Amino acid sequence: MISSKASLLLIAPALALMAGLFMMPLGYSLLWAFREEEAQTWGIGNFLKAWEYYSADILFSLVIVTLATALIAGFSLAIAGYLTLGRSGWAVTLLRWLYRWPLFIPFVVAAQVMRTFLAKNGMMNNALVELGLLAPLQTASYLDWRGIVITFVWKQTPFVTLLVAGAMAAMDRAMIEAAQNMGAKRGRILLGIIVPQISRTLMVGLILSYVTMMSVLSVPMMINAQQPTMLTVDMAWRINAYGDYGVANALGFIAYLMTAGVAWIYLRGELQTRGGAA
Amino acid sequence: MSSRIAKLFASAAVALVTANAAQAETLVVVTGGSENMVDYVTDYLGPLFEEQNPGWTVKSLGTGPGDAGSQAVLEKLTAQKDQPTWDTDVIVTNQLKTAEMVTEGLLQKYRDQIETGALVTSDAAKMALGTDVDGYVMPMFMSQTAIAYNPDLVQDVPTSLEGIKTWSEANPGAFGYNGIKNGMSGVAFATAWIYAFGGSDPKTLMEGPYDAGAEAGWAEALADLKTFNQSVTFTPGNAGTLDMLNRGEIAMGPVWVDMFYSWQADGRLNPNLKITLPEPGMPGQPYYYAIPAKTAHAEAARKFIALATSPEVQAEGIVKKFNWYPGIDAQHLEASMDEASWDKLFTDVTPADLSEKAKPFPLGPFFTDLMDQYETEVSN
Repeated sequence: MISSKASLLLIAPALALMAGLFMMPLGYSLLWAFREEEAQTWGIGNFLKAWEYYSADILFSLVIVTLATALIAGFSLAIAGYLTLGRSGWAVTLLRWLYRWPLFIPFVVAAQVMRTFLAKNGMMNNALVELGLLAPLQTASYLDWRGIVITFVWKQTPFVTLLVAGAMAAMDRAMIEAAQNMGAKRGRILLGIIVPQISRTLMVGLILSYVTMMSVLSVPMMINAQQPTMLTVDMAWRINAYGDYGVANALGFIAYLMTAGVAWIYLRGELQTRGGAA
Repeated sequence: MSSRIAKLFASAAVALVTANAAQAETLVVVTGGSENMVDYVTDYLGPLFEEQNPGWTVKSLGTGPGDAGSQAVLEKLTAQKDQPTWDTDVIVTNQLKTAEMVTEGLLQKYRDQIETGALVTSDAAKMALGTDVDGYVMPMFMSQTAIAYNPDLVQDVPTSLEGIKTWSEANPGAFGYNGIKNGMSGVAFATAWIYAFGGSDPKTLMEGPYDAGAEAGWAEALADLKTFNQSVTFTPGNAGTLDMLNRGEIAMGPVWVDMFYSWQADGRLNPNLKITLPEPGMPGQPYYYAIPAKTAHAEAARKFIALATSPEVQAEGIVKKFNWYPGIDAQHLEASMDEASWDKLFTDVTPADLSEKAKPFPLGPFFTDLMDQYETEVSN
């Protein structure tokens, strides 16, 4: 058994790294969002400008990420549910093998893949035309907000599924079997028995996905040339084109608030559950 | 470490150091521009300089297209401001940011120290968007934006911006441009829009003096542009517009003339595609060669720029290989050029079109206001 002093000493290097490489730049960025460089004062000028210029993008980011998160919840529950309750052995094996693939693909590669897949004359539309399901003139490009959502969902679903399926596998199967014996259908077992028990794991996965998607630059940059676009693109634009770190920091602060909102909801839920248990 | 291994390392280190000394120097050229501009230095100009100056190596670095690429160069130089020497020897940047660098004292005057300095007389070598840059820059090339279209899909080719507006409303989604965040051809289109519909005389915007009153009609023009944007396709960049034209996903869009011809020459673009310069005209801009104030290799940098702006290189590299309009006065190129290569540049856009409809971008402050208002009025 090591003393608490010794353990502090052991984690000190990691803590120092966290403080120096993460907390300090973050704090600096949050603080300097309030710095008005030209006027040499402190204030909320950068935020007013950010809202005046990019309010549509702020709302767009919120809608896109929320929608993607909801879809990820649906898909990951469906996949994990089938892995747990599916009766066809080969289908379960195939699914288990397939669903993890996007996990190993970086966002920037996923965006590039989707660019060739979702374009008007891309692989998806070509395949549909070849199958006779669409006429060439009916094809439409999905390289807009839909493309972002599709890429996010495709990339993040395996991550949440992995967590959720793990939690489902760790459950006591007795209750599921009892419900099956009583004649309950699989959908009902999933929603009525399994989901309530793994909801915390699901929430953790979804919140991590939400935060990750909020911070991705490559996907909106490469897929969505339209307006509005996501905050990360605007931040890169303010810095690259104008060297305007003030507004970029303000946009970062807003993105931080958006993720902090989700974290707060999660923490409140956690506290209530624990409070109830205590 | 045993002494044998230590000795081995020591001798290897000595060998490395002496090899470096014998190898002479590296000239660092930083280019803010599209991929084709980086290719130009890497594939053509760099090797040519190395051949003529044994012992020298040209290291070329691209920082990306549009204002962003040149802004990166500006930030790099600003960051080194207090150092005794800087690690960048030659820069290639756009008008707006070069003007800022001159104002901030980041560049040195060199044009009268090179023999090709006298070959330039154009306004672009003296003024950049209203800022006096005389002596600090040599134009690398002049480039021009125009509207590219697919004649199979566009029968009555619009000859004016008004015509483009009507055409686009009748053909939703068939006109494509890249907004203002994805490259300068989109910015050029937005500028042309203001020249055409902004209410004031475009001459005021281009020549000054700056007067915010000249922007009175902009709000209406930009509201119109916002409506126009409802019926266009946004493309992911200068190259993206050409890509989408090539795949038939759009039928018309603003492009850079040089990029258009280079892609066509490389077989990357449908040979049937054409370009036109609509009324009242579209902007173009030079890219400049400049030398940072505290470079360690000023003499080599001047030599490099003299080579790059010599009539032979301008004829062979700029016009023939890369389809740009020359940076130095065209009269000096005639001796070095065959007629066919020269004429190729003027197939669709004639010299008369150019003299009448090729415009500069507006003065710096107007330009900044335009970008700002586009973001607040059009895209938000």
